[in-house]
Formats: sequence, C-alpha cells, structure tokens
Amino acid sequence: MTIQREAALAGNLSGTAGADEATWIRAAQQGDQDAFEQLVRAYDQNVLRLAMNLLRSVDDAHDVYQEAFLRVYKNLHSFRFDCTFHTWLYRIVTNLCLDHLRKRKVRREESTVIETAEGPKDRIQTVAEESAEGDPQRALMSRQLSQRIQEVLGSLTPRERMVFELRHYQGLRLKSIGEVLGTTEEAAKNCLFRATQKMRHALGDFV
Amino acid sequence: MNCEQATKELSLLLYDELSFEQEEALHQHLEQCGNCRQLLAREKTLHHALDRMEVPVGSDVLTKCRRDLRGRLSARAAGRNRLRQLWSMLARPFAMSWLKPVGALALVAAGFGMSRMMQTPAGALGSRTAEPVAMQVRYLQPDPASGNVRIVLDETRQRVMTGSLEDAAIQQVLLSAAKESSDPGLRVVSMDMLKNRAQSAVVRRALLQAVQIDVNPGVRMKALEGLKSYGSDPEARKVLARVLLTDDNPGVRIQAIDILAQSHGAENAGVFQELLETESNNYVRLRSQKALRDMNASVETF
Repeated sequence: MTIQREAALAGNLSGTAGADEATWIRAAQQGDQDAFEQLVRAYDQNVLRLAMNLLRSVDDAHDVYQEAFLRVYKNLHSFRFDCTFHTWLYRIVTNLCLDHLRKRKVRREESTVIETAEGPKDRIQTVAEESAEGDPQRALMSRQLSQRIQEVLGSLTPRERMVFELRHYQGLRLKSIGEVLGTTEEAAKNCLFRATQKMRHALGDFV
Repeated sequence: MNCEQATKELSLLLYDELSFEQEEALHQHLEQCGNCRQLLAREKTLHHALDRMEVPVGSDVLTKCRRDLRGRLSARAAGRNRLRQLWSMLARPFAMSWLKPVGALALVAAGFGMSRMMQTPAGALGSRTAEPVAMQVRYLQPDPASGNVRIVLDETRQRVMTGSLEDAAIQQVLLSAAKESSDPGLRVVSMDMLKNRAQSAVVRRALLQAVQIDVNPGVRMKALEGLKSYGSDPEARKVLARVLLTDDNPGVRIQAIDILAQSHGAENAGVFQELLETESNNYVRLRSQKALRDMNASVETF
C-alpha cells in the first residue's frame, strides 16, 4: 500500500476529506480492494437512498445496492473517464431501479413498508405521525395527503418517477439527469414537468 | 409571458432550473398576476409535502448492505485466487510442449498414488479413511455384448485426523473449516481452537477475514477474541476500524472498541469520533465516548 493511499485511508476513517477520486479509481482498477471500498463508501449512502426512495422496499433496495456495486467491481476496468464516476455509477443504479420499477408495474405489488427504529412501519404512517402531532384533524389531512402522494408517485411512469426522484430527492441538475439517463437536458425537463403536473392535478384538493 | 407559460415554469423555478432571463421574466409576471402567485404558493406547499415523503435510510440497513457486499466481493476474490493458484500449479509443468506427455503420465501416476493413499488405514497424522458416507452415480454405460455395466461414482468418505494443534496439517484443516464450512457451529469451534494461535500470520489473516466477512456474529466474536492483543498491529487496526463502523452487531462493535482502546493508539480517536457520528446504539456510543475520554481525546469532531 502506498503512503499516499494509506494517508487517504486514515483521512477517510477520521472523517476528513478523502483523496482524489481518480486516484481511487485507478488504484481500484489495479485490483486494490481498499481503494474500491473507499469508492463504495463515497457513494453508497446516496445509492441506497435513491433505491429506497424509488423502490420503497428495504429488500429491493438492498438487492439494487449489491448488484450495482458488484457490476461496478466487475466492469471498473472498462471505465475510461469519459464521464464522471458519479454519472457512470448512477447509470448502473438507475437502470437497475428502472428494471425493478418496470417489473413492479407489471406485478402491481408495491410495498410501502419501511424499517424504523421501532420496527417495520408503513411509510405513510410515519409521515403522517411526524407532521401532525397532537392535532387529529391535521393528522387525518396529513395522512390523506401522504396516501395521495403515494398513489401519484405509483402512477408515474418509471422514467418520470426516476427524473423526479433524481431532481427532488437527490438534488441532481437536469443536465446531469440527462447524462445519467442517456437523454437530453430538455427531455429530462419535459419528464420532470409531466411528473410535477400529474402531481399538481392529483393533489389539487390538498395543496 | 402569459399565465400558461408561467404555470409551466413554476416548478422549474423552485428547482432552480431556469436561466437568468427565464427567471426574470417569470418574476415580472408573478408581480402582476395574483393567480400565478397563488399557484406558486401551492407549488411550494406541494414541494414541502413531497420533502416529507423521503424515506430515511437507517444506519443498520446501510451497515448490512456494506457487510454483505464485502462478503460477496471477498468470496469472489477468494474463488478467483484459488482458481489462479490451481491453474498456475497445473500449467507450470506443461509450459514446454515436449513435457506434455510426461505431465500426463505424472498426473495419472499421481491419481493412482492418491487413490492408494486414500485406502491406507492410517496416515502420517493418525488419519484413517472409512466406508463411503455419500455416493452419487455420475455416469452409466451398459455393454450389451457382455451384459455388464460400467458405473462412475462420486464417493464421499470420512477421514479421521488426530494430531496436535501445533501440527501444520491440523491447522490447515482447521483454517479451512473456519473459512469454508457452511456450518456456523463448526466455524465457531474452529475459530475457538485457532484464536490462541494468532501469532501465526496465516491464522491472523484468517481471523481478520472472518471478522470482516463471516455472516455469523458468534464466529466474528470468536475471531475478535483471537485478535485481542493485536489492536496496535496496523493491519488489524485497519480491519477493526472498519468492523467498528460497519458491523451490524452491537456486541461485535463493542468488542472491537475494547481491542482498539486497549492498544492506547491515539490514531484510533478519529475512528471513535466517526463512530459517534453514525452510531445509533446508546451503549456502543457510551463505550466509544469512554474510550475517547481514556485517551484524553475529544468526544466531538471539529
């Protein structure tokens, strides 16, 4: 292990900024497990968050996480820095999530159960509870709104859902979303517009 | 700009995706249009409601994902190394073409030799074979002329080995059981026998590997017992730091804290501080805080 990598590893463990990403990628391409682990740790929280939000199932999100990073591990040697690592990784993750969403559209069996500190709970329940403590009428409204949002999110096409997720929760710019999904910024913008329009229409009574 | 265009751009405004000119034009329109201002207020409410729908990612889920991934990657790497070793072992003697027939003969001879050795009642280590305990028919070939049949069988035989724990062959088998057995009970017992032999680099490597990838917390705990005196060893320290930050079992994390704390290494402070940022288990947090206080380090990161 080189001194530079050792120092960077120590830096990461102590919470300071990590080494240059390209250095990690090149080292991982040479088979360096520590470097690969640093790459995983740099991105895996966001990957898991994206999968959890989109799939709303701990098991599915876990599967996407495993499959995505295994694919990265297998194909990292072919990464040529033509795009950012972030874009490349998100292409893999979004494709996996889209596959899951498409399959689910066919099966129509979306789970809204999430893991909480008190055990598995319905997501709607947690949102409603935290937003309207102590006010039964507000709690009811909040629960209905959450339920309606769930329904609308479920009714979006996988692509609309993905663009909305990447923009709203992941904070990616539309230009980056276009790169990740292999489309133009304009197409991503239209997709986001359709998604928000559907939500506006469906939630008109609530907001 | 008219109301239809403005409505279309409201959500893009909130997402900060409009150009300077577009945003200027929209703001000018909003100043004059009460309806669109109302629509913007509704759009903001919708955004706020959507913000609350984000699914929280628990640290336990992340920890499990990381551990499972590490296990799968290690299994892949181990399998590839084994294949590579086997291949180079097999390929080396046959590198020169004139040696190929000699190699083939050698393999046949080795096969005969192995089969004779397997039939020997007692080996150098006091090993002995028994009748087959499992048998599977691999291939059948009837011979209509003679009326005989040729059967190829895969047989599993039990073999008993007896020897000292110091014996390299015994250690090799224990290491193999600790790493590869599908029975967690067997892995725990193997680890228990090996844990006092961590001065051997091979055993220490097996303990470190088990701590990181074994799915059974009992095995990981046993492996950690063997690493008690190695908290200051750089390789062990690195692995223990990872375990501390990623293992989903609080008992394992506590044991990792104890080992790192015993080594009194100031470099561990960063790990304990990082742990405090993500740790959800109160007792683990307390132990980590105590370890930091014992080394006169701050319990906060700055």
